Amino acid sequence: MHTAGQIFILIGTFFMFLGGLGVFRMPDVYNRLQAGTKATTLGFMSIALGVGLSQPQWLLKALVLIAFIAFTNPVSSSVLARAAMKRGIPARKVTRHD
Amino acid sequence: MINPGLSSLFIFLVFVASLLAVEAKKAFRAVLFMSLAGLLTAVIFVLWKAPDVAMTEAAIGAGFTTFLFLMALNRIRGKEK
Amino acid sequence: MKKVIALLLFLGLLFFLGTGLEQGLKLGDRNTLAGKAGEAYLKRTVNSADPSASPSQVEYGSETDIEENAANTLTAVVVGYRSFDTLGEVTVLFLAATGVMALFFASGKKKRLALAKPNFILSVSSGFLLPLIILFGAYVFTHGHLTPGGGFQGGTIIAAAVLLLYMAGNAYKAPATGLKVLEGFSGAGYLLIGLAGLLLTGFFLNNFLPSGKMGALFSAGVIPVVYILIGLKVSAELSGIVSDYMGED
Repeated sequence: MHTAGQIFILIGTFFMFLGGLGVFRMPDVYNRLQAGTKATTLGFMSIALGVGLSQPQWLLKALVLIAFIAFTNPVSSSVLARAAMKRGIPARKVTRHD
Repeated sequence: MINPGLSSLFIFLVFVASLLAVEAKKAFRAVLFMSLAGLLTAVIFVLWKAPDVAMTEAAIGAGFTTFLFLMALNRIRGKEK
Repeated sequence: MKKVIALLLFLGLLFFLGTGLEQGLKLGDRNTLAGKAGEAYLKRTVNSADPSASPSQVEYGSETDIEENAANTLTAVVVGYRSFDTLGEVTVLFLAATGVMALFFASGKKKRLALAKPNFILSVSSGFLLPLIILFGAYVFTHGHLTPGGGFQGGTIIAAAVLLLYMAGNAYKAPATGLKVLEGFSGAGYLLIGLAGLLLTGFFLNNFLPSGKMGALFSAGVIPVVYILIGLKVSAELSGIVSDYMGED
């Protein structure tokens, strides 16, 4: 159980690192938001699950945290992207419109 | 055990953020850098084993003060138009 | 030239603070006399007559402690020993909120800061995020004597929920009268608890409730009651400031 939790925490740390790298490498606001939100949401969920597995008395709180992050993170990212678009921050040329 | 090097690094980052907030040309950027300085201060409080103060700093220094300044900027710009 | 002087002053201050941190303060050093005394004070046990007994005797959740059984020592200081200071802090916050209100009142009626087109995703998701945020704020201030947090932090979180409501749509307006009534009643309740302590034990704001077991929710005597009142008061005040800034009607 403890080992499984640590493996989950390791996976989560890896995804957090990928999110940070994406924020650093991506060309403009919209791409950065995409990288920073998706990767860190998954990373945080994995870390919380790992903490809950390695400390079973915190499992319920960790699950509640995961649900809360699943609600708030996409909403905040969408609000930020919308605000950037309304302010008229241009996208780089590599970013294509869907 | 408290790591002096790590807290020194965060103190330096707080200094840099405050300097950027003072030197920023636009008021909007200054507010954002001040918010960043508040958030980094909250990290320092966590490192120094003061989670209560860190929660207050993160909620008020980084969140609520930023809202107040941004709203005040909005009101001032509305009057100038 | 001015900037160069400013930069030099900044670097000098940084050097001064940095060297002071490394050599003079020595954070976390437990081998000095002050460090030893502080650690012995924080870890002392009051279960036996000998004050220097092994601190490992204190068991979380079963023992009783002299600090009114607050598991979070800081809360015992803020609302136990120094409750009068906290009363002063609450008064300062009340004065600040009154000042903001007077400033906005003097500058005439303001239109509500309306959004051109409310964000649909935000207004839908605020419906089920709002109870969670308010629940979290209430959790923070009811568990102030057990975990880090307390009335001021929880009150700020609840005010953030009110701000979310303002951002989510144009229709919402905070109930100003209700907020003022809540603020007044919780502030008066804090004073009444202090007066009850004066009446029952002879000291203002002294603990007069049974202090229970350390680590339980119903423990630490009067501390959770005071923190709940402070949480309600702070949340009402900060929500009032938010609604002042966002404007009326």
